[in-house]
Amino acid sequence: MMWIFAGLNFIFLASAVGLFFFLVLESYPILKLQGFDFWLGQDWWVGESYGALPMLYGSFFVTALACILVLPLALAVALFTSEFLSSSYRRFVKAILELLAGVPGIIYGLLGVSFLSLWIKNIFGLLDGNTLMTAGCLLSIMILPTVLTLSEDAMHAVPAEYRENALGLGLSKWQAAISVVLPQALPGIVGAVLLGIGRAMGETIAVMLVVGSLDRIPDPWFNIFTSAQTIPSKLGREAAEAIGEGTHWSALMALGLTLFLMVFLITLLGNHFLKRVHTS
Amino acid sequence: MLRFLTFSPKIVLMIRLLLFVLVVIGVAPLPVNADHPSKIEIVGSTTVLPIASLAAERFKSAHHLRILVNAGGSGVGIHSVARGRSDIGMASRELSGSERKRFEGSHLKVHTVGMDAVACVVSSEIYDSGVKSLTRKQIGDIYLGKVKNWKEVGGPDRKIVVVDKERHRGTRHVFMDFIFGKPTQKTPGTLLVTGSNNEEQAKIAQSDSAIGMLSYAWANDEVKAVAIRDKKYLISPTLETITKGDYPIVRKLSFITAGEPEGEVKEFLEFVKSPKGQMVVKESGYLPYK
Repeated sequence: MMWIFAGLNFIFLASAVGLFFFLVLESYPILKLQGFDFWLGQDWWVGESYGALPMLYGSFFVTALACILVLPLALAVALFTSEFLSSSYRRFVKAILELLAGVPGIIYGLLGVSFLSLWIKNIFGLLDGNTLMTAGCLLSIMILPTVLTLSEDAMHAVPAEYRENALGLGLSKWQAAISVVLPQALPGIVGAVLLGIGRAMGETIAVMLVVGSLDRIPDPWFNIFTSAQTIPSKLGREAAEAIGEGTHWSALMALGLTLFLMVFLITLLGNHFLKRVHTS
Repeated sequence: MLRFLTFSPKIVLMIRLLLFVLVVIGVAPLPVNADHPSKIEIVGSTTVLPIASLAAERFKSAHHLRILVNAGGSGVGIHSVARGRSDIGMASRELSGSERKRFEGSHLKVHTVGMDAVACVVSSEIYDSGVKSLTRKQIGDIYLGKVKNWKEVGGPDRKIVVVDKERHRGTRHVFMDFIFGKPTQKTPGTLLVTGSNNEEQAKIAQSDSAIGMLSYAWANDEVKAVAIRDKKYLISPTLETITKGDYPIVRKLSFITAGEPEGEVKEFLEFVKSPKGQMVVKESGYLPYK
């Protein structure tokens, strides 16, 4: 029995490593052709040049937006759930959250394209609702359950003695939550946010439907009310046309490799912080 | 009460592993007899897709087989049939020079089944406020970013939402070829890029100041086709002007096979070309191919 599991484990590991080497191998032609210009170039014209900067920019910006939007809400709700709800209510909230975390991206995408983009357009009086802001909002809703439930775990894992001591010193429940539980849970919260970022960065279909898919860096660069492009959305739109060979395919694979490395690093960091919660 | 939902992490991990293995087994390719496919896979242009779906439905009822129709765009259709990933590709444009060269070994064969017009479409609000026709130059300037406001072409004082298509889409090739004389024209005026006809139609309908390109069969009450104006003529895409050959942006709708079609694929293509199949083309909003 143990050997079967060890074997499965090995297959799993091998496929992760294999995936990485596959991506490196496939993206080698374009990187040999264009070198670092691949990441610095701004023009993506199939058959002419492949510049990934607009996609990189879009991915970072959308993720950062999602992060900024999700943090206040997630922390507030997590703190309340962990410190003020009775244990049966808490379990109820958590179960609902974990259900929400499993809703597929396409569902969010369809809701985004039929409601959110119109709301954003009307609220901000925009020309069009398919913008970086829309994608950021949508992603923040998508990663909210993940960030919330994991940071709530971190807060709940803070030993009860800390709270009792704080209360014993005359702090109110609020003060104890803010000034004792929150700092103690910080590594776990950072980990939770990083895992959320990992999901946001890799989200394809939901972003593809609302981001506008325009391979251009906004002008001025901080203009969040304009269309842009992210790496997964670019892959989703063009992969089927190029499958298997040629420079175009290689360029798409290089984009994939870039994304893989970014998400990998972030997940690694996230796990590192989360582990500190469990070992401390 | 919801305790059953909270498993220990180890159990969760095991369940995930099990699911992973099941998925891997599930998608492993089953052996298929290549000569007599029990199913036909059709991939490509979303313009041709309505014809393929409706024809497949009618054809299936008389024959015992499965027909899978998938979207993706003309470029995807040509690529996938050339590389043997589908039995029939759908294209709403001619093969490009580079495609002919690249897929020379696949001996692609084009079976034209219908005719269509590409319309320049605008949001109904724009159409109703007076922009009922545009010249080639005006459309070109809008896509190049030289004209940014509808009032410059006789509309309301409102910025133009310029909707473009993914570069490999057949509709874009045909449209850009007509406007600029170059199918792969770069368009710095673009504000939004869409893929399928459905997506572009929906996004233009959602906006109140958009311009885009669509197969004329996809124009509706919210997305209206403007007439093409010249010194000599003013022609809107209608069944009549397209049939007569007056409307300038027409194209062939085709199925593509790698080599001569055989067996059920051949029967299906013959069905689409037959009078019954040409009725399907008409019902989908396109013109039969004579």
